[in-house]
Amino acid sequence: MIIEIGHYALVLALATSLLVSVLPMIGARRGDTGMMQVATTGSLMLFGLVVIAFAVLTWAYVVSDFSVMNVWENSHSLMPLIYKYSGVWGNHEGSMMLWLLILTLFSAMVAAFGRNLPETLKANVLAVQSWIATAFLIFILFTSNPFTRLNPAPAEGQDLNPVLQDLGLAVHPPLLYLGYVGFSVCFSFAIAALIEGRIDAAWARWVRPWALAAWCFLTVGIAMGSYWAYYELGWGGWWFWDPVENASFMPWLAGTALLHSALVMEKREALKIWTVLLAIMTFSLSLLGTFLVRSGVLTSVHAFATDPTRGIFILCILAFFIGGAFILFAWRAPMLKSGGLFAPISREGSLVLNNLILTVACATVLTGTLYPLALETLTGEKISVGAPFFDMTFGLLMLPLLVAVPFGPMLAWKRGDLLGALQRLYVFAAISLAAGLVFWYIHNGGPVLAIFALALGFWGMLGAVADLWNRAQFGKQKTSVAFRRLVGLPRSAFGTALAHFGLGVTVLGIFSASLYGTEAVVDLKPGATVSTGGYELTFTGMKDGAGPNYTEQRGIFTVRRGGNVIGEISSSKRLFTARRQATTESGIRTYGLSQLYVSLGDATNGGGMVVRVWWKPFITCIWGGALVMMFGGFVSLSDRRLRVGAPSRKAKPVKPAKPTRPQMEPAE
Amino acid sequence: MLLWIILAFLTAAVAAAFIIPLARSARAAAASAADDRANPDNRAGEVEVYRDQLGELQRDLAGGLIGTEEAEYAKAEIGRRLLAAAASGEKTGGKKAPEIGRHRLAIAVATVVPPAIGLCLYVMLGSPGLPDQPLEARLANPGNDMALLVTKAEQHLAQNPQDGAGWDLLAPIYFRTQRLGDADLAYRNAIRILGESVERLNGLGETVVAENQGVVTDDARTAFQQAAKLQPNEPRSSFYLALALEQAGKAPEARAAFETLAKVSPPGAPWLPLVSQHIEKNGGMPLAAAKPAPPALGSPTQEDVAAAQNMSSGDRQEMIRGMIDTLAAKLTDDPNNLEGWLRLVRSYAVLGDKPKAEAALATGLKQFPASGDEGRQLVALAGQMGLAVAPVAKE
Repeated sequence: MIIEIGHYALVLALATSLLVSVLPMIGARRGDTGMMQVATTGSLMLFGLVVIAFAVLTWAYVVSDFSVMNVWENSHSLMPLIYKYSGVWGNHEGSMMLWLLILTLFSAMVAAFGRNLPETLKANVLAVQSWIATAFLIFILFTSNPFTRLNPAPAEGQDLNPVLQDLGLAVHPPLLYLGYVGFSVCFSFAIAALIEGRIDAAWARWVRPWALAAWCFLTVGIAMGSYWAYYELGWGGWWFWDPVENASFMPWLAGTALLHSALVMEKREALKIWTVLLAIMTFSLSLLGTFLVRSGVLTSVHAFATDPTRGIFILCILAFFIGGAFILFAWRAPMLKSGGLFAPISREGSLVLNNLILTVACATVLTGTLYPLALETLTGEKISVGAPFFDMTFGLLMLPLLVAVPFGPMLAWKRGDLLGALQRLYVFAAISLAAGLVFWYIHNGGPVLAIFALALGFWGMLGAVADLWNRAQFGKQKTSVAFRRLVGLPRSAFGTALAHFGLGVTVLGIFSASLYGTEAVVDLKPGATVSTGGYELTFTGMKDGAGPNYTEQRGIFTVRRGGNVIGEISSSKRLFTARRQATTESGIRTYGLSQLYVSLGDATNGGGMVVRVWWKPFITCIWGGALVMMFGGFVSLSDRRLRVGAPSRKAKPVKPAKPTRPQMEPAE
Repeated sequence: MLLWIILAFLTAAVAAAFIIPLARSARAAAASAADDRANPDNRAGEVEVYRDQLGELQRDLAGGLIGTEEAEYAKAEIGRRLLAAAASGEKTGGKKAPEIGRHRLAIAVATVVPPAIGLCLYVMLGSPGLPDQPLEARLANPGNDMALLVTKAEQHLAQNPQDGAGWDLLAPIYFRTQRLGDADLAYRNAIRILGESVERLNGLGETVVAENQGVVTDDARTAFQQAAKLQPNEPRSSFYLALALEQAGKAPEARAAFETLAKVSPPGAPWLPLVSQHIEKNGGMPLAAAKPAPPALGSPTQEDVAAAQNMSSGDRQEMIRGMIDTLAAKLTDDPNNLEGWLRLVRSYAVLGDKPKAEAALATGLKQFPASGDEGRQLVALAGQMGLAVAPVAKE
């Protein structure tokens, strides 16, 4: 009976979302308060119903109710409890439920916290959110119903895909979806603005926090996905330019651009139309990502089932929302009033540069992802676009952006002073280069270009420090005064600096891991030793073991450095009994910021094992940097004050004649 | 019944979520129809944001975060926007209040849609009569459901993997339900814990044979030989050992072994027709026995079997064809696979496609010449299936 209540709640959710799609919009057109208020109660009710449905599905997983087909297909009674919970979204139907749950959660949050939103805007936003919910509810109910029953019920489930039986499944999809779907709110705001034909300060004020929150979740969601692939797949790589990865990366690039342009809009009322367009693009890319991953166009661990009707259905949703949004944009955007003016060299100008580079970079990733698919569909020819393409296009595009990042926050609003910013930054540029040199010296033998690559990483980090340094006016004021100023800086300033610092950390990790990492593939017999990155690994032998639903063979290695034993690494090959599917668990040990990575291959004839050993210097910086970025985002989000950008009148040299007066600094 | 009461309650809650705000606002509008405040001012939010911005600016200035000069510019800029917003707000502010009667239609829609859509769709998609079936409750009272009993035993074994009797019990069940991998593991566990017995060794041997599409591999033969050592002339192991000889192309030895088996078997034993068939295949005189049993097909996977049960016979034929085509394609890519060839030839022959079977046989013999051990197995199979061996193989 509980299951059937969940099913009915989902059906009722469709009725609710239909009502919320229509009534508030009519209300907004007629200026009818009652009909607009329906959006608030309706959205909360919709969320409640989806929560019931999701909770019921989770319950079915936890108690192993195999009369639910979805549970039977993707669970097993012997699976550890945590995977019974995370297994709910470790399959097609369940992951669509998670998507819907998060979508309605965001609607409910807009409904609950949007009290000071203009009434018509709120009604329209919630109605547009409801359109999206309606589309996905129809999709779930008619093509991927998680509540389909089996009678008689089988006695045992078919188990969850072993690759997904990992803590990563509990963390990665919810975070990623919070990001993906979070951008739906920005999209709904954009559509609502186009429908109303008006964008005002209240609009900008509301879009920025949503873009920021979604961006934070997406950042960490992608980073977690990358780390998961890194340790679970046993290939030693952390990013493969796989279409599925690109599908999540494209909304991130567009979302980063959106975040920055929304900031300009809130502070300066400029870039209005561009922000609307970016909001549409970002969510469109999220939908495209969902289509690519869910339709079975791509084969990967994410494509749980390949059912052509589902693909066509998602394609229709895609065409309706993306096509509709762009048509609406083309029709209504010219009616929007564009806002403030600014000089090319100014904070706004630098953010436009950021936006341009990010969108072009996003377009190259899109090309690299879709071109092979299009080619295969049209000519049947299979090509793969891999790292070389992306390194040459995306990598080259990113370089100027990374160089430019520290300049942005140094420039004043409206009219900036590049010379002044340069003067403020040259010390830090020199330190970055020096740090790059030191790094190179430590790991000498690397290519000379590497110095610049590493310097770029430090540049990003120190540039963020420089930003805070200058705002607090260290060096100009007494240290105690400057320190007090630093503490008094708004949290949004710290957020910006932290996020930019995190970007630098990630860049440093990427370059140092790819430039200085070493790899060894050897056939090891028990007792033999292999050395890499200054560590020696001795293969102790294989040990049999068993987990709750698998048996394993574990290869154990003793790690020595300079002859002293410093630890043990083990990598295992697991056989999951229910699906009779094998996985490899790689062994990873972290030393400082670097990692030693061991992956077990096949047994060889002579009684040895093929073992791959990687030394990955500073690789944890890649994900650590993403965490810092996310943290910066949340710090900024916690600053609930309004963002005002005070313009500066004209460019000034850094060392003016009157040192007594404090410098005009751009305010955050 | 309880289910329907809860569903009705849910439906009512949803309808109420729409009806209450509609009804309340209609009443409020009626109470203050003339009051301007009932009509929301679109620009109010905007004006408020600008006021907040001015406040923010004051705070920044007080905190020394921006200079006085900049603050003045910013203040002027925001002031201009504030005035513009306030002015346009006054222009558009005088919209008329909503009429009360308009909500009647909306309320009607909100009352009808949830039950209509909810019930129609649910009756279409749901299974209201089906109770929840949490596994634990089902295991507590499994009744005669074999699958549940198996699951119960599995859960017990997951807790006590050293319980040999449990493995011993499960192994033959797994074998019968085509869970060959599990059967293999269960037999091996039972043998490891409880020691060898004829029953277990034969079971393991048969499982391995089934896993290898009917070929008695070395692994299986070892098991049967061990069983034969424990109990000589035991029919099952004798049969498979003879079959191993036949598959190795040693027809005379195979015939002798089958004939011995026929001799030691009690008259009228159910396996005699099959043994007789094999004696004939290996060049001996058939026993005076019943009709031969139909030959077994290759071994489709568990899912295939499940799928096949739901198919019409035409579909089933189609599925088998598909599986054979896959195998043929695989062998074209990698012809060095004797068991694959044996299986392909046998499959074609069973389907009655003699030309294809013979073609496959010829191709297989190119890879494994008839003079070799492997080739002889192919030739033996051809004889068994009544296929002509192409002359090229006879060189």
